[in-house]
Amino acid sequence: MMLKRSLLTTAAVLSMVAAAAIPARAEVSIMYAEWLASLVEPGIEAFEAETGETVNAIKLPGQGYDQRIALDLSAGTAADVVQMDSFMVSELASAGYLHPLNEQGAGWDQYQYYQPGLLEVASYEGNVYGLPTDTDVRMLWYDKSNFEKAGITVPWEPKSWADILDAAQKLKDAGVQYAFILPAGTKQAEAATMQGFYMALLGADVPEGDRNRLLNRETGQWIGDSPAIRRTLELYHQVYVENELTPADINYATDVGAAVRQALADDKVGIIASGSWEDACLWDCNGVNLPSREERDAQVGWTPWPGSGEPGTKATTNISGGWTIGVNAKAADPDLAFKLVTTIFDVDNFKAWTLANHRMAVRTDISESPEYMEDAYLAKATALAADTTGRDTIPGYQTVSALVQQATADILDGADVETVVQEYHDALVDEFGEEKVMTYE
Amino acid sequence: MKNQANPWLTNNLFVLGLGMLPALLLICVLLYFTAWAFAFSFTDLALVGRKAVEWSWVGLDNFERLFTRRGFLEALWTTVIFVFFSAIVGQSVLGFLLAALLRGSNSSIKTVVEVCIMLGWLLPDIVAAFLWSATTSQTGLINSLIIVPLGFQPVNFINDYALPVVIVANIWKGTAWSYLLFSAALDSVSREVVEAAKVDGATPFQRIWLVQLPIIRPHIATNMLFITIWTFTYFPLIFAMTGGGPGTQSTTLAVFLYNQSFARGNLGFGSAISVAMLLIVGVLSLFYLRLLREPK
Repeated sequence: MMLKRSLLTTAAVLSMVAAAAIPARAEVSIMYAEWLASLVEPGIEAFEAETGETVNAIKLPGQGYDQRIALDLSAGTAADVVQMDSFMVSELASAGYLHPLNEQGAGWDQYQYYQPGLLEVASYEGNVYGLPTDTDVRMLWYDKSNFEKAGITVPWEPKSWADILDAAQKLKDAGVQYAFILPAGTKQAEAATMQGFYMALLGADVPEGDRNRLLNRETGQWIGDSPAIRRTLELYHQVYVENELTPADINYATDVGAAVRQALADDKVGIIASGSWEDACLWDCNGVNLPSREERDAQVGWTPWPGSGEPGTKATTNISGGWTIGVNAKAADPDLAFKLVTTIFDVDNFKAWTLANHRMAVRTDISESPEYMEDAYLAKATALAADTTGRDTIPGYQTVSALVQQATADILDGADVETVVQEYHDALVDEFGEEKVMTYE
Repeated sequence: MKNQANPWLTNNLFVLGLGMLPALLLICVLLYFTAWAFAFSFTDLALVGRKAVEWSWVGLDNFERLFTRRGFLEALWTTVIFVFFSAIVGQSVLGFLLAALLRGSNSSIKTVVEVCIMLGWLLPDIVAAFLWSATTSQTGLINSLIIVPLGFQPVNFINDYALPVVIVANIWKGTAWSYLLFSAALDSVSREVVEAAKVDGATPFQRIWLVQLPIIRPHIATNMLFITIWTFTYFPLIFAMTGGGPGTQSTTLAVFLYNQSFARGNLGFGSAISVAMLLIVGVLSLFYLRLLREPK
């Protein structure tokens, strides 16, 4: 009896303490993906030391991150400060979930250094809604030891899709399990669209008009059917169905990122379609315990994505994305929230992270610093950025991206290109209406 | 009903009403969310973008899409296979067999088996998912312990047999429930009835089939009702293990619903899927509830 009473009392006291403590525990909250911890966490520490406020840091897994952020913002349960993929910004802003940053930015001495083009990507109707963390370029990474085993000359410089398929076939014949990882399907989410589909699409057809894109940028119509879309899906079909260059399971692994890294460590990978962040990410996305430059260079190499080889197509393709940090429209104290953002992006913290992780800088005060310019890898990768483009970051892109992922999933599932294109077209019409969808012959 | 109640209560309708308040509130909350999903299913409401604010009514468009676009019917079929094999055949039959076999058996064997079964049930879904993908992948336990040592090429189970693998994983995960329920049910069958059958010369199989099974029929129906509903809407294990893939091979309705609502951000269409799921589960439940009734 005694025990029971004391138990009850304890429970009651605890719940009262909890009820009283929860609202007061944190003045500012932030949500970020675990791979960004090495940028965000020192920033939080500095913020706490400087302001005396407590930060409620919510670190989330990278997989399913975009959905989680969208859901939390729409439900009103998101943190005051949120990290988001740049393609989400216009979608979230148009739904009224984000707080505009122009005014506060104008009062911050480091705001002037951000590249205007990147702020543009994170804008909606003239307002900036997120500050970029980094930008990127995309390329094909390859395992040098497996290339040697397959008898392919290194450095590898493919000139067309045929060259890629040819190399992948040789790798497969040499016993390499994942000869060519071309991101596909719904579980990889935006990675399937950006690292896989869009990189191929840009080189699939001549760049005239917007024949090699998802959106006709002049008319604002989504492209429901085009030779470029068909050729790109055809490439997926060749890789996964016709030639079975790679089992599809890697795209649906329980933890895709970990599975790819493990496969690479086990020498089971030939070529990976991915991006500039892999210079650190192939070992650890947070840039800790990285092997030396020499060891990394001995293990992997990279080459730009070639065009399809059709007459008039681009020689190499590239598309850039990146991540941003913004403020929730429902933030209790937007000024304090913005203060947290600027502390994270304060030049010392931001520069150290950019250099340690070999990220492509988004600010001139970092990109023009001697340390950055001396980095041979970044210099080479940045050269690719001369001919890059961005995603179609207008509201609706997220849906289109999901439809693209579904289209590649259907190819993996054995559907033929004709059917998949028809379904893609119909789904676009469902979402945006007949007048917002067009076709290239 | 009222006549049976405590006379003090019947004279104090206010107190009676007060007592019913929590239940009433709960029902209201439940109805509210259901009504919400139902209303959304007639709109083009989106998770993000302008349609998150400026949505409009689209009538039956979403429901029409269920049947005119690829995805829903395929996912429904996958779900039917998943439920039939993992819940009805797997968990239920296996749970019953284990309960019947372990009755009265040596207690130490029973303990070991029970611990094994319970372990699956107690593990969080996400842990179970990693466990099973580690078991069934190309470099996994089955390949490195059995297939490769026997001289065969390693089989990529999770790629080539995605649906069977998640079915087996779910059987492993959920058998404990059926086992517990059937153990309790079999314990409730009076010993005399079984003994009497034994004296009359019934074989062990006949004793189970003709005596015990009919007696525990209501328990079977209850079990079926529960596990069908759970399995029909089950999401975490499948999503974590395969994400519905490769391609769409293990896309059940729950995964399809998730992809439509949260990856595509199409809450209206997602709601239509959930309403359809509600109706299907409702019909199934009615069927099981009829089974629950005693035969005339």
